[in-house]
Amino acid sequence: MNEDIQRQLIQDLVIESLEGLDAFDAEMLALEDHEGQPQDHLRLAFRMIHTVKGSSGCLGFETIEKVAHAGENLLSLLRDEVMSVDQAVITGLLRCSDALRDMMHCLEAGSSPDTIRHADLLQLLDGLQRSGKSEAQQGFGFFDGAPGAPETAVAPSGWGLFGDDEPVLVVAPTAPSSPPPSSPPPSSPPPSSPPSVEVSELQEEDASPKLAAVSAGPRASESAIRVEVAQIDRLMNLVGELVLARNQILQMAGEKSDPALNGPIQRVNLITTELQASVMKTRMQTVQTVWSKFPRLVRDLSQELGKKLTLTMEGQETELDRTVIEAIKDPLTHIVRNSIDHGVEDPAARKLAGKSETGQLRLRAFHEGGQVVLEISDDGRGIDPVRISKKALERGLISPEEASRFTDREIVNLIFHAGFSTAEKVTNVSGRGVGMDVVRSNVEKIGGTVEVSSVVGEGTTMQIRIPLTLAIIPALLVECNGDRFAIPQASLLELVRLDPTNSARSIEWVNEAPVLRLRGKLLALLDLGQALSLRQQRSAEDAFIVVVEAAGRKFGLMVDAVLDTEEIVVKPLHRVLKSLGAFAGATILGDGQVALILDVAGMAKRSNMNANRKILDADALKQNQAAALDDGKERLRLLMARVAENRVAFPLEGVTRIEEIPASSIERSGPREVLQYRGRIMPLVRIGDCLGEKRPVVKGEDDLLHIVVCQLRGHQTGLIIDSIEDIFEERVRVERFGNERCLAGSLVAGGMVADLLDLDRIADFAGLLPATVGRT
Amino acid sequence: MAKRIITVDDAATMRRLVGYTLRGAGHEVLEAEDGEDALRVLAGQTVDLVITDVNMPNMDGIELVRRLRAKPQFQSTPILLLTTESDPEKKKQGKEAGATGWITKPFQPDQLVAAVAKVTGL
Repeated sequence: MNEDIQRQLIQDLVIESLEGLDAFDAEMLALEDHEGQPQDHLRLAFRMIHTVKGSSGCLGFETIEKVAHAGENLLSLLRDEVMSVDQAVITGLLRCSDALRDMMHCLEAGSSPDTIRHADLLQLLDGLQRSGKSEAQQGFGFFDGAPGAPETAVAPSGWGLFGDDEPVLVVAPTAPSSPPPSSPPPSSPPPSSPPSVEVSELQEEDASPKLAAVSAGPRASESAIRVEVAQIDRLMNLVGELVLARNQILQMAGEKSDPALNGPIQRVNLITTELQASVMKTRMQTVQTVWSKFPRLVRDLSQELGKKLTLTMEGQETELDRTVIEAIKDPLTHIVRNSIDHGVEDPAARKLAGKSETGQLRLRAFHEGGQVVLEISDDGRGIDPVRISKKALERGLISPEEASRFTDREIVNLIFHAGFSTAEKVTNVSGRGVGMDVVRSNVEKIGGTVEVSSVVGEGTTMQIRIPLTLAIIPALLVECNGDRFAIPQASLLELVRLDPTNSARSIEWVNEAPVLRLRGKLLALLDLGQALSLRQQRSAEDAFIVVVEAAGRKFGLMVDAVLDTEEIVVKPLHRVLKSLGAFAGATILGDGQVALILDVAGMAKRSNMNANRKILDADALKQNQAAALDDGKERLRLLMARVAENRVAFPLEGVTRIEEIPASSIERSGPREVLQYRGRIMPLVRIGDCLGEKRPVVKGEDDLLHIVVCQLRGHQTGLIIDSIEDIFEERVRVERFGNERCLAGSLVAGGMVADLLDLDRIADFAGLLPATVGRT
Repeated sequence: MAKRIITVDDAATMRRLVGYTLRGAGHEVLEAEDGEDALRVLAGQTVDLVITDVNMPNMDGIELVRRLRAKPQFQSTPILLLTTESDPEKKKQGKEAGATGWITKPFQPDQLVAAVAKVTGL
């Protein structure tokens, strides 16, 4: 009880002071930018810090009081125009507010604010005061009505009455009050005992203290009250439960259809919806809550880095759920730091580039399509796709073929790849450790996306799109193996129906991996049932494919049925299930059943659905025809290719990838032709040579060579062919007529004779050593 | 005997602290956030004591004292300034406006209770 009130008082103090200090910072920055009347800013700032001082003093936090007092003193000199405002003074005052803020955070965490170093700060503030002309009146002085009465006669604190001629002064300890004057004088309480304890002592005397009455004092201006966040979270939870119960009732009503019940049920339905909306609204905070920190950040960083910057903010009033606000705080800060550090050039460089010396940093927030868009743009040097592409190649994030195929926009978005940091010099501002990949994963964690667009020399724009709330999300319900799952709408791209009667829409297999040809691109597929180990094998070809995208990976989830879209209430998951990485949460459906919410990014990661797989796209496999899978043992899956006059067949199991490379990229290593491939040297073998083809394949420098990449004795080896013809899966008989060097035999596939290559013999022919051990 | 007291302060911490202390001593405590708010609260009722902060937004404590003193029903109501003001000018202004006395922040709870008892003639 006593601890309760103490805790509440401290909590009040912390919240109030933190708010006040933010406002204080804003006033200081406005003062520095010469916005409006300096006196107005000084007056407001003075009041903020004055309140902090008064309140913390009353609660016995002497250190806080002392620091606030030093700041207040300096401010009063500015206010009274005893000294003038300059950058050093403002920096000092901002540091004072920082220290106070740190102390408040200490209080909040339950530790002592005295642990915050403040001696240097007090010295600094003192020094600023000294340098600013004379020392003004400071500290406490008491005056009374009688002229000439010595002010020092009054105790340094206490209370008194204004008498007309004769002051009536009463010093507290002698006061006739019920509690014994046991508390030490405020000037020297032991640091270990906060005076809130004294409040408690006083309280013990009282028989019926009403805690509720503390906050229930009748106030005229109750247009706003403070509510604890935990309380709102609880409300939200209850509303969530109510929504679920409502859904259940609605479903039951739909089945029973009792006209007498319909009216009340509809009302419950409407009220629930409105209640949900209202509670959601109470959880909303404006973007300003995060942005208010940025003017300060921009000021400090630009001073530190010697840059000039103007920050403009639009749409601060845009509202977001507080959980979303929490989640975007760090990513936003990171992006802003990045912009200042890497984006905006220093004044000299800007001048050289024909730009104004002052860089522009613009923050914008607005609604678009049920989402909130946060945009951070600068007019700095932009991101150079050439440099990014070089770095990405160096780090093996992309292949040379991709590098040439990707658009500038795609290249620039590679900065969100894990481990990507192009900062040529690492500064303490940004570019160490935490990269843009963390920004992306943080944003995606809350169902958002982040994208960058940039024009070299003109600037960079980052766009973060986030949902309004996380508590209730729209989701697609799907069925798999009799269970239902929810897929968040945010990661959903499209739905594809597989029609068994239409062969143009069927699953193809590339190297054991199911793929779907969708508008000329191959899309990697993942069978939900298999991925979750619900079953071994897909039963039917008749399936739905949910095309999803997460963490830059686009793939298709094979499900048995698509049920419905529904607003679902996200319930947290037990950590046992959470650690699987496949689920983002759970929800309760209208019929009372639980459904798990799929974590699309996690699924992709779990199933090794890496970005490389989707690269097997239509360009590389242009001429392929697909064949459906059957696991019949006599069946062979073959990649058919042409080498001069010969048709050759590769066993598809051995094929890793198919590539097209310009003939000019072939290099030599000793007698061997090699290719730089994914950061390594890949030996090349011309199949024509294996077959004893006399006519050398003559190709111009710019011609494209077709390469089938296979694993030969542990080496990635490129087998050069003229063209790829087809993929077949057929019941074949392999027949051997002679002992041709590199062939396993001949077969008939697709109605024509072809030679089946023996990859092991080709390895012999090429003289490849096993990759790990010496030749035996 | 319980008194009706209004505490006027823009800082919720202070309102809570004063309210808690005085309610603990058996008084009834009204709260207001600044001078304007206090005038609104006091529009239809009287109190036995006003304890007001000096430095507040909208209407400060000095102006509040002045306004209250202009109303017949508050001409003799004790008004205490709750202040850390180091500026004697402010105190002088308070006195001239008609304040009864002052309490300096930080205060000890028993000091506050004692001051209230004294000034309300308990």
